[in-house]
Amino acid sequence: MNDMSRPSEVAETTDVKMSAQNVDVYYGDNHAIKDVSVDIADRTVTAFIGPSGCGKSTFLRCLNRMNDTIDICRVEGSIQLDGEDIYDKRVDPVQLRAKVGMVFQKPNPFPKSIYDNVAYGPRIHGLTRNRAELDEVVEKALRRAALWGEVKDRLSAPGTGLSGGQQQRLCIARAVATAPEVLLMDEPCSALDPIATAQVEELIDELRTNFSVVIVTHSMQQAARVSQRTAFFHLGDLVEFGETGQIFTNPQDPRTESYITGRIG
Amino acid sequence: MTDAAIPMKRTSLLQPDARTKSRNAAEARFRAYGFVAVLVALLALAALLVSILGNGMSAFRQTALTIQVELPEATLDKSGIRDPEVMKKVTTIGYGKILTKAVDAAIADAGIKIEDLSGKEVAKFLSGEAAAQLRDRVLANPDLIGRTVEIEVLVNGRIDGYYKGRVSAESALLDSNVSPAQLKLADALKESGMLRTKFNMAFVTAPDASDQRPEAAGLGVAVLGSLYMMIIVLVLSLPIGVATAVYLEEFAPRNRMSDLIEVNISNLAAVPSIVFGILGLAAFINFAGLPQSAPIVGGLVLTLMTLPRIIIPARAALKAVPPSIRDAALGVGASKMQSVFHHVLPLAAPGILTGMIIGLAQALGETAPLLLIGMVAFVRDYPDLPLDGFFDPATALPVQIYNWTQRADPAFVERASGAIIVLLVFLVVMNGLAILLRRRFERRW
Repeated sequence: MNDMSRPSEVAETTDVKMSAQNVDVYYGDNHAIKDVSVDIADRTVTAFIGPSGCGKSTFLRCLNRMNDTIDICRVEGSIQLDGEDIYDKRVDPVQLRAKVGMVFQKPNPFPKSIYDNVAYGPRIHGLTRNRAELDEVVEKALRRAALWGEVKDRLSAPGTGLSGGQQQRLCIARAVATAPEVLLMDEPCSALDPIATAQVEELIDELRTNFSVVIVTHSMQQAARVSQRTAFFHLGDLVEFGETGQIFTNPQDPRTESYITGRIG
Repeated sequence: MTDAAIPMKRTSLLQPDARTKSRNAAEARFRAYGFVAVLVALLALAALLVSILGNGMSAFRQTALTIQVELPEATLDKSGIRDPEVMKKVTTIGYGKILTKAVDAAIADAGIKIEDLSGKEVAKFLSGEAAAQLRDRVLANPDLIGRTVEIEVLVNGRIDGYYKGRVSAESALLDSNVSPAQLKLADALKESGMLRTKFNMAFVTAPDASDQRPEAAGLGVAVLGSLYMMIIVLVLSLPIGVATAVYLEEFAPRNRMSDLIEVNISNLAAVPSIVFGILGLAAFINFAGLPQSAPIVGGLVLTLMTLPRIIIPARAALKAVPPSIRDAALGVGASKMQSVFHHVLPLAAPGILTGMIIGLAQALGETAPLLLIGMVAFVRDYPDLPLDGFFDPATALPVQIYNWTQRADPAFVERASGAIIVLLVFLVVMNGLAILLRRRFERRW
């Protein structure tokens, strides 16, 4: 976890994978997200930082329409994936979520075997034709999540029997097994110890070669370590969005500066 | 947080202060109350079991007489063609006479001499059911006529009661149904080995009998009726109840309508069961025209009664599944339905199953609604096999118990207690099954 392992803080591509324009989110009468516009670049790690309750998780959940499950939640504005509006009436959120995967704050493996956890996504989406192919997909996903070595001998053991860090990596494996284009991570390391955190961060950096990753984090050090671009949210506003290096070394907004130096939040 | 806020007082850890003492005393009192409560409950249970087993176990033993009976063709089949239809003309009275003769012969053969034993007393020594037993046997096998067969027949309930401690020589003096001379005869026959008390399988398999023949009364029809009703309740209420719970909990929009439904379900669970009986009478019998006393009507009424009692625990079980599991399923792109049926429902299954079994157990023990739809009737014919049997008259175990407790003959106290034992065994088996299923289910996860 030294700064030497820090990935380059310059975005390597400029292709826009997801684009949110003037997004407003309401929980009943509560205006949770106010006029936020963010472009998520392809094959890049984008970090959302900000104090608790600033709306970064809410915004993240808008990106794969997980907020649909909350009755009182209302989303306005446009969010596009590869130029297609994901809130279009014709879009089936189930299909969207296969393209935009999600890893949650608390490790939440299914109470099934490790194998079944990873194989669940490919199974329901019909990504494989036979058992051999499925085995291959599961192995690949577990290798990607740096978990293969630890679990290859006990794939039929229950996923809930793993340690916290292993469970979170299992959840990541489960998310990447469906071959999403964008991976959303909602504070994936908040329940993990420093060693597991380092493993997950390493993993995120690797995933960048294949996916766009959006990560919500409380830890500014983590944002600085893993992301190329950073967005700072405060009280539902997007205060500042730019190259990670610039946000942390030369913030433009006084609120950003106060937050990253620990005066607010 | 200045030091002045709380005055410091030096206390020893070895010396509990007054506050700690009173707290500990409160805890000790609470534990004592709990212990006493459990003790009282256990004593009550023990008293219940002792009383029921004490009264009821004897129902599983019955006294019967084994004698040689000569079956004369002259009285039983004058035509000599062995046609059961013709032979049916000889009623049980005719067979009764043959039996009495056989008993007389047996007494003479054994060399038993009892003073003031009248011929009528010998005739009444046997159960009224005995002649019917013999007649059934002969009609089933006409070739027996003309031969001498050995048959085991029930004796009078009072004689049976003599061996179960209900009747004594003193009480027989005051009893018009039994005389001391008959008891002496019983002792003598027992001595000779013809009279034996043995396990009474007929108690569970035989149909009910009239007030005068407690010794022949059995639970067969009631067991079948209860079994049929449980099948109907299970087949109807499990899918409907679980589907309702899943829909209301997972899919239904939260609005005034779903609130109304929720309140109504909760209220229905609290409606007295007899009200469901009235509903069943009005809806299924009077309106839909289904037969009275039929397990189908009983099953439908019990289904209505059981549904809310299944839906409520099923919803609670679904609610108890952590939302993170739903998120996880949706997050990998499962549809709502897939997330419910692949993940939420299996996790809730043990809880749903428990609610289901408790609901079924309640339905099994329910009496009041069945009284109203005519299942209290005196039924001696077994219902057919399902599905036709669902429409045949039958009774149910709890109704049979209720019925027997109404009867005058003290022998029915024993029968009713024995029936309670059978009902309890059913419940224990069902609960055991539930626990077994739960274990199996949980191990898979």
